Amino acid sequence: MSLLEVAGVSQYFGGVTALAEIDMTVEKGEIVGLIGSNGAGKTTLFNVIGGYYRPSGGTVRFHGEHITGMKPYLICRKGIARTFQVVRPMRNMTVLRNVMIGRLFGRDRIKTEFQAGPESERILETVGLGQMMHVLAQDLTLVDHKKLEMARALACNPELLLLDEVLAGLTATETAAAMKIVRNVQEEMGVTILMVEHVMAAVVGLCSRVIVLHYGRKIAEGTPKEITENPKVIEAYLGESIV
Amino acid sequence: MERTRQTAILLGSIVLVLCILPVAASDYVLSLVLNVLMWVALTESWIILSGYTGYISLGHSAFYGLGAYMMAMAVMHLPCALVVVMAGFLSAAFAFAIGLPFLRIRGPYFVILTLGLTELMKYIFVNLEIKLGGTVGRVIMTAPGLVVLYYFILAITALATLAAYFAKNSRFGTALLSIKEDEDAANALGVNTSMYKLLAFGLSSAFPGMIGAVIALRLSYIDPYSVFNPMVSFQVIVMASLGGIAGFEGGIVGAVILTLVSEALWARYPYHYMIILGVIMILIAKFMPQGLFHPVERWLLKRARE
Amino acid sequence: MDLAVLFEVLSIGLTMGALYALIAVGLNLIYGTMRLLNIAHGELIMMGAYLTYSLFTRMGVSPLLSIFAVMLVSLVFGLLVCAGIFLPLVKESKSVGSLESTSLLVFFGISIILSNAACLVWSADIRGYSYLTKMVTIAGVSIMYNKVVAFGIALFVCVGCYLLLQKTMLGKAVRALIQDREAAQLMGINTSAIYFFSFGAGFAMAGLAGCLLSMFYEITPFIGMPYTIIAFIVVVLGGLGNLFGSLVGGFLLGLLEAIGVSVTSPGYRPILSYAVFMLVILLRPEGLFTRRKRV
Repeated sequence: MSLLEVAGVSQYFGGVTALAEIDMTVEKGEIVGLIGSNGAGKTTLFNVIGGYYRPSGGTVRFHGEHITGMKPYLICRKGIARTFQVVRPMRNMTVLRNVMIGRLFGRDRIKTEFQAGPESERILETVGLGQMMHVLAQDLTLVDHKKLEMARALACNPELLLLDEVLAGLTATETAAAMKIVRNVQEEMGVTILMVEHVMAAVVGLCSRVIVLHYGRKIAEGTPKEITENPKVIEAYLGESIV
Repeated sequence: MERTRQTAILLGSIVLVLCILPVAASDYVLSLVLNVLMWVALTESWIILSGYTGYISLGHSAFYGLGAYMMAMAVMHLPCALVVVMAGFLSAAFAFAIGLPFLRIRGPYFVILTLGLTELMKYIFVNLEIKLGGTVGRVIMTAPGLVVLYYFILAITALATLAAYFAKNSRFGTALLSIKEDEDAANALGVNTSMYKLLAFGLSSAFPGMIGAVIALRLSYIDPYSVFNPMVSFQVIVMASLGGIAGFEGGIVGAVILTLVSEALWARYPYHYMIILGVIMILIAKFMPQGLFHPVERWLLKRARE
Repeated sequence: MDLAVLFEVLSIGLTMGALYALIAVGLNLIYGTMRLLNIAHGELIMMGAYLTYSLFTRMGVSPLLSIFAVMLVSLVFGLLVCAGIFLPLVKESKSVGSLESTSLLVFFGISIILSNAACLVWSADIRGYSYLTKMVTIAGVSIMYNKVVAFGIALFVCVGCYLLLQKTMLGKAVRALIQDREAAQLMGINTSAIYFFSFGAGFAMAGLAGCLLSMFYEITPFIGMPYTIIAFIVVVLGGLGNLFGSLVGGFLLGLLEAIGVSVTSPGYRPILSYAVFMLVILLRPEGLFTRRKRV
């Protein structure tokens, strides 16, 4: 049984078809990439999986259990956590308190702030924000914001982590460091990852499998190598077929 | 440790003084302190919802009026203390009932929705009174003396302040504040935002209900226009903002300052007082939007870090 | 309901509707462009009414001429308030939430200052004057002449608003800004100029409404709040930010009120209004006339 199973998911907004009959799975332990040009429906798919939208059609199953259209906070407690494309930190809270929210209300539902502290600090060390624990979230740089976003999601102790363009806007060095963190999360913390990305180097470097969306439809699926050589994918990205 | 001990001693002394005040103070002073305490309670309870979650409510007056009418209708049949407690529970229950649809509404819509609630309650009661009795307004014949009312208010204020304190410094408070910062992100992190908003709304609304019930005894005459008055909500917002809208301590500061200022000016120059009040509000909004208490807060935080 | 009564209800409904539309468009303009809820709008109406009253009773100036003076004064006041208080506030605000509570505070302060200043200058007694109180008969209905004139003027301004918003560059810029502030800025729209326009026009229309209302209603310094609430009701009906919705919504509310009162009794008017208002917010907050947007 797949960890995550998306079957026939469609999403219509008025006259716009954001997603059309998407079928995909994510197996435990994988890092799966989700790519496509802007407007292809990647974030919409994340929103459907995360419970922000109830899809117009189709189902989403986690561990075989229906989670289609379930409220976002319940989905978090089931074990799916996400980051947002445009970071959404709790600006007037410290970095540590941001992460503690995940400990207190995520899958583990820790009862007191006192108990939530140590693990939160550990997670912050893992992503490299150990020194910034007591800094207000609004005072962070972009890179640190991305790290906080990830740390917060990890604090929920998820089985499946949805990363929405975590590498956007990072320099080459920062990207390499972030990739190491992602790999670490998978290998050491045993978290399965589904990541939306535009940075192809990261997709090739991290993902064992890639799914390509184009105008709401899945047009290809395979290893990174297969995808980069797939003529349909090339046509979608470049707008013409290269023979 | 030393600072906590100092704070505890300070707080304890204040509470002690407040408790024995009726013994030594004149009626005027007692009345004044009662007023101050009442506004502190209204402000602190308002902060529980609107300060912590960011859902600015103009509906505090609605529960205040509800409580006042409960007392007016029940005072001949039940002991006052019981009615006050009932007013608290019934106000909270009413808040829970309307909270579900209301709290789905965000931002400015929520503000005007709650304003609409207060006005709707006012006119419903006007029409009810006309239907039931022919006249609008009720007289309350029997009422306990000033000292008893003072202790009622003191108890309610203590409760409200404790509630505001514990609502903030707890897991509950973290949930509320996360809703204020970013409700959707909070949901993604497992916070059941609907439930927490509802709890905050219910808890927050119990206190104006109880206060309304007690004040009805003090006024001895109530009518819908005076008890369902949006001015109550507006003044609470001013007091909370004076102190720094999400501040638990700030609410106390704001309420005390404003009540004392109004006391000094209101009787003699009501119109001038209100104009000065308006100017103060604008000045604060422009130059100290985080409240008068904010610089003190930052100084305290700095001291704590060292 | 026989025809005469129907016509009478219609005439009352349309007259008040035109005034409601005026009031609501002013409020919505300020909200749509700057996301500020002007809870002092009613007090601006009140001031317009008092200015007209003073000009008429002290100096014998016809209210119809006062319109220009009142609108000018209101306009200038709006520009000053925008420049001195709100423009800096909007630029400095750190979050939408804090701007909301801060601006509520400021508007509330303005409303308190205005209503109490009116008490100082004119006292809290009810005041009124008579102007154009001859009755005229139109289509079998007897209406007071001043109401007909008020309706005419209000309608004229409403139509003018509509044309301005639809046909002129300024109107298009305003609508663009309301739809998407960032995009409008990127398109080179001078947002500060639009903000000034919104405040100036919004305040001026409130002043005008007050001037017209003073012709046939009595005034006190406290008539502001009920009109503020009416403005909110219409704005909610038509949709926050939807200026055309406010124009239509104003007439709709005027008619609904007139019909409702004739069917039940005047005492129920506010309850009907608030109940409708709250239902609309709860069930269709974007307004009856706005197309639903998905997140």
